[in-house]
Amino acid sequence: MTNGKIEKVAVIGAGVMGAGIAAQVANAGVPVLLLDIVPAGAAEGGDRSAIARTAIERLKKTDPAPLMSEKAARLIEPGNIDDDLARIGECDWIVEAVIERLDIKQALYAKIEAARRPDAAVSSNTSTIPLHDLVAGLPETFRLNFLITHFFNPPRYMRLLEVVAGADTDPAQAARVSRFADERLGKSIVRCKDSPGFIANRLGVYWIQAGVVEAIDLGLAIEDADAVMGRPFGIPKTGVFGLADLVGLDLMPHINASLAKSLPPADAFHALNRDLPLIGRMIAEGYTGRKGKGGFYRLNTANGGRVKESIDLATGAYRPSARADTETLKEAGRDLRALFNAPGPVGEYAWRVMGRTLAYAAGLVPEAADDIVAIDDAMRLGYNWKEGPFALIDRVGAAWLVERLKAEGATVPPLLEQIGDRKFYRVENGRLQFFGLDGDYHDVVRPEGVILLEDIRRRSQPVLKNGAASLWDIGDGVACFEITTRGNSLDDQVLDALDRTIKLVARDYKALVIYNEGRHFSVGANLGLALFAANIAAWGEIEKLVATGQKVYGALKHAPFPVVGAPSGMALGGGCELLLHSDAVQAHAETYAGLVECGVGLVPAWGGCKELLVRWSAPGKLPHGPMPAPAKVFEMVSTATVSKSAAEARDMLILREGDRVTMNRDRLLADAKARALELVEGYTPPERVEIVLPGPSGKLAMMMAAQGFHKRGIATDHDLVVADGLADVLSGGDADPTVPAAEKDVLRLERETFMRLARTPGTLARIEHMLLTGKPLRN
Amino acid sequence: MKNVVIAGYVRSPFGLARKGDLARVRPDDLAAQVVRALVERSRVKAADLEDLIMGCAFPEGEQGFNIGRAVGLLAGLPLSVAGMTVNRYCGSSMQSIHIAAGQIQLGAGEAFIAAGVESMSRVPMMGFNPLPNPAFAKTRPGALLGMGDTAENVARQWDIGRQEQEAFALRSQRLTAEAQAAGRLDDEIVAIDTGKSLVTRDGCPRPDTTAEALAALKPAFDAQGTVTAGTSSPLTDGASAVLVTSEDYADRNGLTPLARVVSVAVAGCEPEIMGIGPVAATRKALNRAGLTIDDIDIVELNEAFASQALACVRELGIREETLNIDGGAIALGHPLGATGARITGKAASLLVREGKRYALATQCIGGGQGIATILERV
Repeated sequence: MTNGKIEKVAVIGAGVMGAGIAAQVANAGVPVLLLDIVPAGAAEGGDRSAIARTAIERLKKTDPAPLMSEKAARLIEPGNIDDDLARIGECDWIVEAVIERLDIKQALYAKIEAARRPDAAVSSNTSTIPLHDLVAGLPETFRLNFLITHFFNPPRYMRLLEVVAGADTDPAQAARVSRFADERLGKSIVRCKDSPGFIANRLGVYWIQAGVVEAIDLGLAIEDADAVMGRPFGIPKTGVFGLADLVGLDLMPHINASLAKSLPPADAFHALNRDLPLIGRMIAEGYTGRKGKGGFYRLNTANGGRVKESIDLATGAYRPSARADTETLKEAGRDLRALFNAPGPVGEYAWRVMGRTLAYAAGLVPEAADDIVAIDDAMRLGYNWKEGPFALIDRVGAAWLVERLKAEGATVPPLLEQIGDRKFYRVENGRLQFFGLDGDYHDVVRPEGVILLEDIRRRSQPVLKNGAASLWDIGDGVACFEITTRGNSLDDQVLDALDRTIKLVARDYKALVIYNEGRHFSVGANLGLALFAANIAAWGEIEKLVATGQKVYGALKHAPFPVVGAPSGMALGGGCELLLHSDAVQAHAETYAGLVECGVGLVPAWGGCKELLVRWSAPGKLPHGPMPAPAKVFEMVSTATVSKSAAEARDMLILREGDRVTMNRDRLLADAKARALELVEGYTPPERVEIVLPGPSGKLAMMMAAQGFHKRGIATDHDLVVADGLADVLSGGDADPTVPAAEKDVLRLERETFMRLARTPGTLARIEHMLLTGKPLRN
Repeated sequence: MKNVVIAGYVRSPFGLARKGDLARVRPDDLAAQVVRALVERSRVKAADLEDLIMGCAFPEGEQGFNIGRAVGLLAGLPLSVAGMTVNRYCGSSMQSIHIAAGQIQLGAGEAFIAAGVESMSRVPMMGFNPLPNPAFAKTRPGALLGMGDTAENVARQWDIGRQEQEAFALRSQRLTAEAQAAGRLDDEIVAIDTGKSLVTRDGCPRPDTTAEALAALKPAFDAQGTVTAGTSSPLTDGASAVLVTSEDYADRNGLTPLARVVSVAVAGCEPEIMGIGPVAATRKALNRAGLTIDDIDIVELNEAFASQALACVRELGIREETLNIDGGAIALGHPLGATGARITGKAASLLVREGKRYALATQCIGGGQGIATILERV
């Protein structure tokens, strides 16, 4: 059944991409067979699956981690094509990720065709070979079930999946693979035409090539070039040269050549695609980027130093990196037209690279994509641009762009002519619409089952709102609490809004979801405010904030309706404590949660210590007795441990049994809402519990461990001060193991200890350092 | 008074805690296999056994429930054989032997199994619920010092440098590797059935280690210190057992006595330098035996740490050629409760193998103690 579930996957080719794809399949909890060739000269009786096995070992060590948990690693089974190909008969989807050579791929397809189940889908991860070439000469049964699924590196973290279905591909099969990739692998699907480089790389490679060539021609320093290409356009600060270092310089000539070969002669890429001797030389000398000795940038560690250096595009020599000249950028601000018009090389560079890239993008519809949304999605998800090229054109003005292109005699893509002075996107009756090739506007349609706060915001007013948070009605009696501060940090205003939310939801709604669409769920309490208060010795204010937080979080936990926390990205400190006070967590797979207060010299004081103690004290988690739970929490919190995935957050008991994980970021709100509705019937708030705590002897045992780390040079002097406070809280102060402590006893200890530590110079220095540098101070 | 003899010695292979082959084996199951093998190999009549005295340093969790009795039942000893658990930390199973010897001389039995076990994989050092007395910690802070810290103190006080410690560790590794390669450890080892496989070899030794590799290690306990993982005994899983009987009983029943127990002793010392504990204990035992260290042909000195072993060697005047001739705990491992029976049984069997007269087995004990046993070949 081509619409059946995908329950097992085979990935053939255990290189970086193949292994990474296998890892993401395993992250989804789906078993995967990873095959590669038998190593040349494999000894008699030697490991014939060594390549795949080595790839799995490498996955475990790679940073950032391709695997979300140790359990996931065990779902990948290594094998080799000679002995194990028949086993792809167990699989519902076979992904080919072997070397980019048509003859090799086609020979493999013939073998796959003989071994696969009739209903199994086959896809290629090719980034350069057109689908019609891949299937040429292959039987119809193969063509019917074949498509291209082009992942981006690293497959776990890059959300884009380009899907190309051929003329013969069964739409049901393409839909089946796309649904699996969307719901289970968490990818956003962009449908591409069978055109060279598909969408993201077609445009991305053009942009990088333009960025390099024009910087050379204009004599611009690479720091300046990257500064222009980064922030002003909402592009990662790596810009063009930093990105090339990341991708690998050695790949550039290959990609350029293969693209140039398959593009029509009139394509604008050809004009940019010239041989760059500097890059050739860098590759030859091993300067292939971050994976090599360095690239356009390098870290010079000679003479024991650590100096960041940049290459001089004219001489090819390294020199210490300079601060980018951002004067022009500052003047232009967010006004891209002003930037393009700015006199001098910076403005000229911006125009030559980005102006042309935008024009090039406009020329890709309908050749590479059916509509502009696909192009924008591809660049947002595949290159991490904040906005796609058409959204950027809207900022510049299409008419202005056309005029400028005409002024320099450049070709103007028909789509730009067609739109005139209108915008590519508009909001009509609260709905986001895009400009179609037919000249009409059409609703941007979300995949089935996706709910985005972004859309709800467009068409409704918040139920409640202040400067730090909003409450939205997301339908079916469920409300959504959205924090709106920078980094979604928490302050008295957020607490106030949450307090009012609890009362309002109790009256008017069935359930509450805590969710937002920021990069991070919440980075924790607003340290700037805390430091300010400390500096003016407003201790009473700080104490009040701590007490209010405890009160509001407590009210949240014991509210008469179910609460579902739905994090994505970081959920740190007070943000993590929000999750700990929710009835359930529906976490995006990429959730990085932890109580990190000790890093800034404090202890969790909005009930975080209490919640973790309760969770770890639950029967069956640890050996009996008063010590294991506090010791475990001490170990996690004193070292400010943060999970590297939702799976790890589950190991830390930030997620509990019954809590679920959503792989696709865009489906998080819908899943959280569904979970909240599940909890509504017969909901009773959790009861307050008593905790057996060890008292002073337990504190002593914890501090013995901390002192050991201090002696070994792992814990710092102030770490010991903070650990002492944390040990006080977790051991229950004067508690006696025969007299269980109440939750409020632990809350009191949290408050007292927080206030004591907040007054220490070591803690204030930590907070200040964190605010200035974003990194913890190890004092 | 009756003469007391060691009439049998066996042990399990020693495995690296957590990572080794025995990590998934319950300590009571492990010890039961060793005890059963001791009965079979020594050919003692099980019904004659008075008691199974089990040493264990952290007798809780899977090592709780009076593991001495549990092991007796698991091993299928007759119900009439009693069982007890003894805790003197690292000296636990040597203490088991001492108790057995004392009982025999008291006329309270003729044959005993003195055994020891520790799964450092399954029951952590300090146990699951470390609850030290805070008042005691104030008056006697050194009593709760980590073992590594005490090793650093000994290294400082006896001026034992890092190089000297590493040379000692290398010697331990070399002698163990030679003994292992020559099959000299095979007779004492009982293959352990883990349910999945049969473990027959010690897993801790690092025969390939080099002076350079040891020199490259970071200090394990004190950033400014000299003690590394390479000069410390590793966390280990293992069990050992010896048969202790009266000499008459052994003769009457056709057993093969290895050595007679000549004298025993325990002694306390400063907790901060617990590693020096063997010195006072050994001096007492020698004195009781009317011997000097020069009379001793075979020494089994537990290598908790190279620094403390070297300090004891220096203080006692132990001759190198007598010392741990099949290697020691730095290479072989130190399953706390099992070590005492291992080194005493080993010393007894070495007397036979080497044709020597007197042997000393001694070890240091956390909290500031030492324990020693002097044996004479039968």
